[in-house]
Amino acid sequence: MKDIRIVEAYVGEYASGKSEVAINRALELARTGRPVTLVDLDLVEPCYTLRPLKKELEEQGINVLAWETRDAVGLGETGNILRAEVPWALRRPGHVVFDVGYGVGGARTLDLVEGIDQEPLFRILAVVNTSRPMTMTVENVVDYVRNLGPVHGLINNTHLGDETTADIVQQGAQTVAEAGRRLGIPVVATTAVAEVAAVIGPVDCENNPVRVLKRYMPRAFW
Amino acid sequence: MAVQPAMPRSWRRESKPHKFCPGCGHGIALKALGQAIDELGIQDRVVFGCDIGCSLLTWDFFNVDTVQTHHGRTTPVMTGIKRANPNLICIAYMGDGGGYAIGAQHLVNAAGRNEKITVILVNNTQYAMTGGQMAPTTLPGQKTETTPYGRDVELTGFPTQGPEMVAAITPEGAYVARGTVSKIRQLQKMYVRALLNQIEGRGFSFVETLATCPTNWRTNAEKTWAFLEKQMPEYFRVGELKVPLTTEGAEEA
Amino acid sequence: MAGVPVPGDKRVFMTGNEVVAYAAVAARADIMYGYPITPQNEVMHYWTRLAPKYEKRFLQTEDELSAGFTTIGGVMAGRKAFTATAGPGNVLMQEPMAMAEMMRLPVVVVIMQRGGPSTATVIYSQQEVILTTFGGNGEGFRIVYSTATHQELYDYTIKAFNTAWRYRFPVFLLADGYQAKMREPLTIYDPLERGIELIAPEAYLGRPGTPGVDRPPGHFRNTYSTEEELYEVLQGHVREYERIWREVEEYESLGTEDTDLLIIAHGVVARAAKQAVEYLRGEGLKVGYFRPVTLRPMPVDALREAVSRTKRFMVVESAYGQLSKLVRDALYGLAVEMVPLYKPGVGVTPEEIMARSRELIVKGES
Repeated sequence: MKDIRIVEAYVGEYASGKSEVAINRALELARTGRPVTLVDLDLVEPCYTLRPLKKELEEQGINVLAWETRDAVGLGETGNILRAEVPWALRRPGHVVFDVGYGVGGARTLDLVEGIDQEPLFRILAVVNTSRPMTMTVENVVDYVRNLGPVHGLINNTHLGDETTADIVQQGAQTVAEAGRRLGIPVVATTAVAEVAAVIGPVDCENNPVRVLKRYMPRAFW
Repeated sequence: MAVQPAMPRSWRRESKPHKFCPGCGHGIALKALGQAIDELGIQDRVVFGCDIGCSLLTWDFFNVDTVQTHHGRTTPVMTGIKRANPNLICIAYMGDGGGYAIGAQHLVNAAGRNEKITVILVNNTQYAMTGGQMAPTTLPGQKTETTPYGRDVELTGFPTQGPEMVAAITPEGAYVARGTVSKIRQLQKMYVRALLNQIEGRGFSFVETLATCPTNWRTNAEKTWAFLEKQMPEYFRVGELKVPLTTEGAEEA
Repeated sequence: MAGVPVPGDKRVFMTGNEVVAYAAVAARADIMYGYPITPQNEVMHYWTRLAPKYEKRFLQTEDELSAGFTTIGGVMAGRKAFTATAGPGNVLMQEPMAMAEMMRLPVVVVIMQRGGPSTATVIYSQQEVILTTFGGNGEGFRIVYSTATHQELYDYTIKAFNTAWRYRFPVFLLADGYQAKMREPLTIYDPLERGIELIAPEAYLGRPGTPGVDRPPGHFRNTYSTEEELYEVLQGHVREYERIWREVEEYESLGTEDTDLLIIAHGVVARAAKQAVEYLRGEGLKVGYFRPVTLRPMPVDALREAVSRTKRFMVVESAYGQLSKLVRDALYGLAVEMVPLYKPGVGVTPEEIMARSRELIVKGES
C-alpha cells in the first residue's frame, strides 16, 4: 500500500466545496510522509480559487500547482489559463489531488492531464452540497452527477457556511446516499468542520465515514 | 382638380408632406416599403425602427409602431424586440454610416446569427444629416466635407461592399439584395421578399438601397439621376445576391 | 414548467451571481441579454441553465452596447428584460441607458463592479458609483440600489423589476466582484407565495389592433429639434423623479443620535463599517453608522439628519472619493468635518475602520 500512489480528482457543481475538500485531502495525504501535489484545474476562473492560499499550503508541505499572485500580473481576464506544469502533473512523485473547476466541461477537463487514463487507482469524486439550489433533491443530484461524466465516488459536503448544523449535514447525507444508490456510485465520505463532526461522530446516519474539514477557503475571500 | 399622389395605406397622412429634402431618395424607398407592407397586409404586426441621420425623420412616418434609436443601434433594438416577441415583424431602417460604420458590429453579428429581422440600409454615399461627410460608401474621388480633395482610396479605402459582405457571412435562409430608388418596382419586390423571408422565419434579410441626395451632392435633377444610375452602379451592383432556395420565383442564388 | 426553481422558503448556500439569476427567475423576468465579462459571468451561466426549464430566453450579444439596446427592445416588446455587466462593459452600457433614461424605459441592469480605470482587475472595486448613478449624457434619472449581502441581492433583484415597471426609470442593481463570487447562506423564496405583488410589464410596441385604424400608432423617440421642446420633456422627468424620490430612497443606520464620529459606507464595505461600529460602540465609543441603500436617489434628508448630529464623519469606500462626492453634494451647507478612508480597488476590513476610528476619537487626530 505504501508504494501505491493516490490520484484523485474532485469535481462537482460551482461552489460545492471542491477546493476545500481537495485541500483537506491533500494535507491529509501529506501526513503519510510522501510528496503530495495539489493541482488547480479551474479553467473558468483560475485566479479566484487556490491562488490566495498557495503560499500557506506550501508551507504546510504540499506542492501546489496554481497561479501565484506575482505570476498573475497582467493576466487580465484570466479565463481558460492552463499552467504549463498542469498537464504533466502526473510526472511528479507521490500523491496527486486535482481540484477541477466547474463548467460544462465537467470531468472531461481531466482529459487535459497527460497519462491520467493509465493511473491504476485514479478516482474521480463528485462533491455535493445539498444546500445548493442545483443539487437540492435526490433527482437533482442524480441528474447533475450523470452530466459530469465518469464518477467513482460521491462526497457529501452539505453545509450552510457558518450556519451549518449536524442536522443539515445529516439531511445532506441521506440525499447523497439515495442519489448514490440510484446512480450505483458509492458515497466515499461526509465532510464537516470539527465542531459539527464532533456532534455527528465517526460515521454519518448512512454509515459513511466523516472527514473533518478545516476551512481554508474563507481566507481566500471567496 | 389637383391629382392626389397615391400614398400607401400604411403611411401616416398626418405627418405628410414628409420632411425630406426635394429629390431625396428616402421618400421613394419609403413609398416602396409602404407598398410592400400594404401588399403583405402586415401593418398591425410591423415594428419599425429608425436610426440617427436622415433616417430618423421617419419616426412618425408610418401608421405602424415605431421607435427611433441611437446611431447604429437600430439593429440591436429590433433584435431585442424580435427575440422578446417573435410574432412582430421588425424592420430596422438606417443609413450607410449607421449600418457600415458605427453599427457595423451589430450588422455583422445580427447577420451571422441569422436574426429574423429585416434591415433596410439606404446608401447615399455620405453622412447627409451632419452636413455631407465621407461615409464608408463614398465613391473614390468623390468630394465631401471631410474629403475636400476627393476620396483618396490609398488613405481611406474603397466603398464598402455591404450586401456582398452580408451575403458572405449569413447562413442559408438569409435574403440579401441591393436595389435602387431608380427602379421602384424592383425595389418594392425586394422589400416584399425580404419581409416574407422574415415572416416565414427563414432568416436575416437585408436590402441595401441606392438613393439620391441632391442637397449634399449639390446636383440638379439631371446630374442627380446620372450619379445614381451611372456612377454608383460602377461600385454597387444592383440585384439579388442571396435568395433562399425555397423562395418562390428565385432568380439567382 | 413555470414558477420558481425551489418552492417555499429555503435556506441555501450560494454565490452572488447565482443569487441574481435565481432571483430574476423568481421575479418572473422573461429574457436576459448579455455579453461575457468577469466578474458577472455566472449570472449568465445560471440564467442559461435555468431559462429553458422556465420558458425564459437568453441572447448572447456581440458587445455591451448591443446587450443594452436589445434589453431596451425586450422591454419595449413588453417583457421583463435585463442584462448584467461590469467595468468597461458598464462604460458601454451607458449609451443604451441614456436612451432608457430619456424614454423612461424600465430596463434592469446588474453591475458587478471590478477594478478600474480601464481593464484593471476582474476582481473588485466600488469605482463604478459615479458611472452607474450619473453615467451617460444625461441627468441621472435612474434608480441605483447598492446591495451588501446575498440576501439583499435576492430581495433587491426582485424589487428592481418592480421599481422599474412601477416608475419607468432604468434601475441598476450595483454590487461588486466580491459579492458576485463570495458564497454565503441566504433564504430564497417565491415572492408570490410571500404575497409580494409582481408588477406586470406592458408592451410599448405591438399592442392589439392596426395602428392608425383601431388605435394611434406608438411613435417613440429620443430626438428633439429645439431646446425648448427638450426642456419641456426634461422638466416632466425632473418633476416625476422628484415626486418619487422619497418613495424610492432607502438607507440603513445605527446609533446616529449623538456621535463623535459617523461612518458612512455603501455596499459590501458597509458590512465592514457596520461590524466596526457595533464593536466600537461595545467599547463605549460614540460612533454611528449610515449606509445609503439607494445611491440614486440619495436619501438626503436622513443623511443630513445623521450628519448634523455628529462631530465629524468618515466616508469609507473602495474608490477614491466617489461615494463621498455624492455624500458631500447631499450635505451642502452643513459645516461638519469629513475624513476620507479611500482604498480604490481593494477591500476594506472592519479592523482598518476600527483602527482609523480609534485614532480619530481617542487620540483626537485628524
